[in-house]
Amino acid sequence: MSELQLAMTNTAGLTSVMSFWVFVGSNISKRWRELMLKVALAVMVVGFVALTVAIVTRGIDAGRFPLANLYESLLWFAWATMGGYLLMQKLYSIQHLGWLASLTAATMFLYGSWLPASQHEITPLVPALVSYWRQIHVPPLICSYAMFFISGLSGLVQLWQSGRLRALAFAVGALVFAISAIGLGTFTSLDTFLLQGLFVGGSIAGLSAAWLSLNKISSGRVNQERAELYDEVGYRGIMIGFPLLTIGIITGGLWANHAWGNYWSWDPKESMALVTWLSYAAYIHLRIHRECSAEKLSLVTVAGMILTLLTYLGFNSLGFGGLHSYGRFK
Amino acid sequence: MRVAGQPLRPSDEEMTASVASPVKNSPPAKRSKLAIFASVKMTVTLLILIAATVLVGAWCPQESQVGFQKVIEMFGEQTAVKLSELGITDIFHSVWFLVLIGLLTINMVACSVQRVFPKIRTLKQPMPFFTNREISKLPVNRELSLPVSSELGLEKLSTKLRQSGYKVVENGHSLSAEWGKFGRLAPTITHIGLLSLLAGVTISSWTGFSGFKPTPLASAMSFGSSEHSKLWIGKLPEWRVRVDGTRREDYPTGEPKQWYSDLTVIDSQGHELKKQQISVNNPLSYDGVDIYQSSWGLDQIVLQFNGHERRLDLRQMGKVYAAFLPLEEGMILIFSVRNQVQPVRVFAKTPQWEAPRLLSEIPLGKSVRLGSVNLEYKELIPITGLQYKSDPGYGVTLVAFCFIMAGVMLAAVPHRQVWAHVRTEAEPANEETTAEQDLCILSVGGRSVKAKTAFEKSLYSILTRLEQEFAATGAKA
Repeated sequence: MSELQLAMTNTAGLTSVMSFWVFVGSNISKRWRELMLKVALAVMVVGFVALTVAIVTRGIDAGRFPLANLYESLLWFAWATMGGYLLMQKLYSIQHLGWLASLTAATMFLYGSWLPASQHEITPLVPALVSYWRQIHVPPLICSYAMFFISGLSGLVQLWQSGRLRALAFAVGALVFAISAIGLGTFTSLDTFLLQGLFVGGSIAGLSAAWLSLNKISSGRVNQERAELYDEVGYRGIMIGFPLLTIGIITGGLWANHAWGNYWSWDPKESMALVTWLSYAAYIHLRIHRECSAEKLSLVTVAGMILTLLTYLGFNSLGFGGLHSYGRFK
Repeated sequence: MRVAGQPLRPSDEEMTASVASPVKNSPPAKRSKLAIFASVKMTVTLLILIAATVLVGAWCPQESQVGFQKVIEMFGEQTAVKLSELGITDIFHSVWFLVLIGLLTINMVACSVQRVFPKIRTLKQPMPFFTNREISKLPVNRELSLPVSSELGLEKLSTKLRQSGYKVVENGHSLSAEWGKFGRLAPTITHIGLLSLLAGVTISSWTGFSGFKPTPLASAMSFGSSEHSKLWIGKLPEWRVRVDGTRREDYPTGEPKQWYSDLTVIDSQGHELKKQQISVNNPLSYDGVDIYQSSWGLDQIVLQFNGHERRLDLRQMGKVYAAFLPLEEGMILIFSVRNQVQPVRVFAKTPQWEAPRLLSEIPLGKSVRLGSVNLEYKELIPITGLQYKSDPGYGVTLVAFCFIMAGVMLAAVPHRQVWAHVRTEAEPANEETTAEQDLCILSVGGRSVKAKTAFEKSLYSILTRLEQEFAATGAKA
């Protein structure tokens, strides 16, 4: 790893943590709110630019497109999350989401930094990855995952703004279970079935409890205008992420057909991407159907975020196998 | 845009339809026949059930891909048998899954015919013009008082909307404008793509074939053992593919970088029809059949023992390949090779020895003397794993993919509609103006199905710029 690449990656990591704290401060302090928001956004822009330089430098150092293992994909994910948030911020001025977007990017940096040194090193590609299809197939997928995350985070803020605090607590609980299972699966040797149980059981229990708690409204906390705004942000996030996911899946099929003569082989990663696609297709149809409240749809975006997490990181850490095991390091 | 916590009211599109769309004029008899299958609730239910089924299939190793032994390794024999009985170990061929896919197909066809395809007609339908009363009922609306003539006020608004990418139509004192009209075609194009995909897959399934054939160097591969569906009306080719050369290219670390095979297509008489080198991601195509480099290995080692040739099968053991030759009194000779360049290493092992002992290393084409035996390393025969496929539905599938991608991308484009109506009102004299003055009252409103807040922001920005322009003109005057 070159010094410039290391410096830029560290800058991006540090700025994501800094912007997180300044965004948090802006939500607490009414007096300095506007100033802190501007500072937080500026810091995030610096981080985004630094990460762009880091990724480009890594590509130049490696002499190939820099998206070939888990560590590199985490850099891309953090980049897409920051970029996705900045885009949404420009369209909607959604300051309340800033700290969550920064937290997501910072978590990805932290997760990446804890991976073994072999993941940080630039390693040669296995024969299956030596193809121009890699740069066509993978970036849309990673960017779609980031947009689904922004959408899910908007769902959480929407629940807060609509006064569904109990449902929000359960939804966050579901996320904590899912993230814990992935963290334990990555960095410990706990039994795979136990971790799968933790992920699935925690997610289903949390989301079911949240669904059943949607009628409990803390009326003093309701901000209808903002609730509508975050509902729309969640929808727009999906309407950007869904085409990207579709393009990623289709180009993956075309690559597989070009390389092995088969569009689809029900490989676990392919299946998980299809599950995510079907879930968001269901969300879009639910929205068309227009009988679902904004809060129910917000919970669907949170469920989608958990499925995205399972497709992206859970696949490797929770013991799924198959052709797409390039991100594995255990 | 829905009110948080409340079910949605009729869609903006439906509101437009009530004024202008021809869709509602579909014959009622046709609707009732399809209504059961054209339900969006059914679509959502099926999508969730299929997603849950695929999730189970991703979690449980599938017999058709990795074999039943892998299922036993993961769950133990008793649980594996139970899972097999429930159809979970081959879930993508289970009746449950096929029924779900069948129902979703019927649902998609019914929805497409009844609701989605007729949307094409709405594109031709001109937007209606609204009065100021109708405009005031739109989700986003505002009224401006401008100190200019009504004609100029409407004209300036029209210019501003055009500059923002709207397609504007004026009619006397009214105006209607539209942005992202083609975004409305997203469901139609996506559904055409999905139905075309089904057609492409069906054509391939009924007429195509595929298979995998590990082929040693200098051998020829034929298509006799091809796999195809039960309902098959295709034809297998008579030509064959000969492997003239095959090799592995490594990184300096010893990890494989690429596999190559030199292939020649030959007819039944042995005439050469085509020659090509293939590698992973670079197949050979001939007569509608694609041949892919799928795997690579070392198949046999050829040795000479005191002039007598012997071929031994090689087995992959990690990064090396090994052949075993049992001798008398429990001794085994082991021949270990790493690749086609490095020498073969000859080991001996007896039950008494803890580990094999290295006897010699022999470069390719050389020989060594082991006791009374002259051992020569003659040849190493590689084997190339060739995957092949005939996919007559490829063109249709490719077109389907293009439609699906175009459809989902169009879905991200928000459709925006704006209406304006202008009237003139007399402003009574006040402290600043000594006489009565005519004012242009501009009612502007609109809606966007996919992004109300962003639309509101952009429309208000246009109107603010309009007001500022007239304020500046007024100040100059």
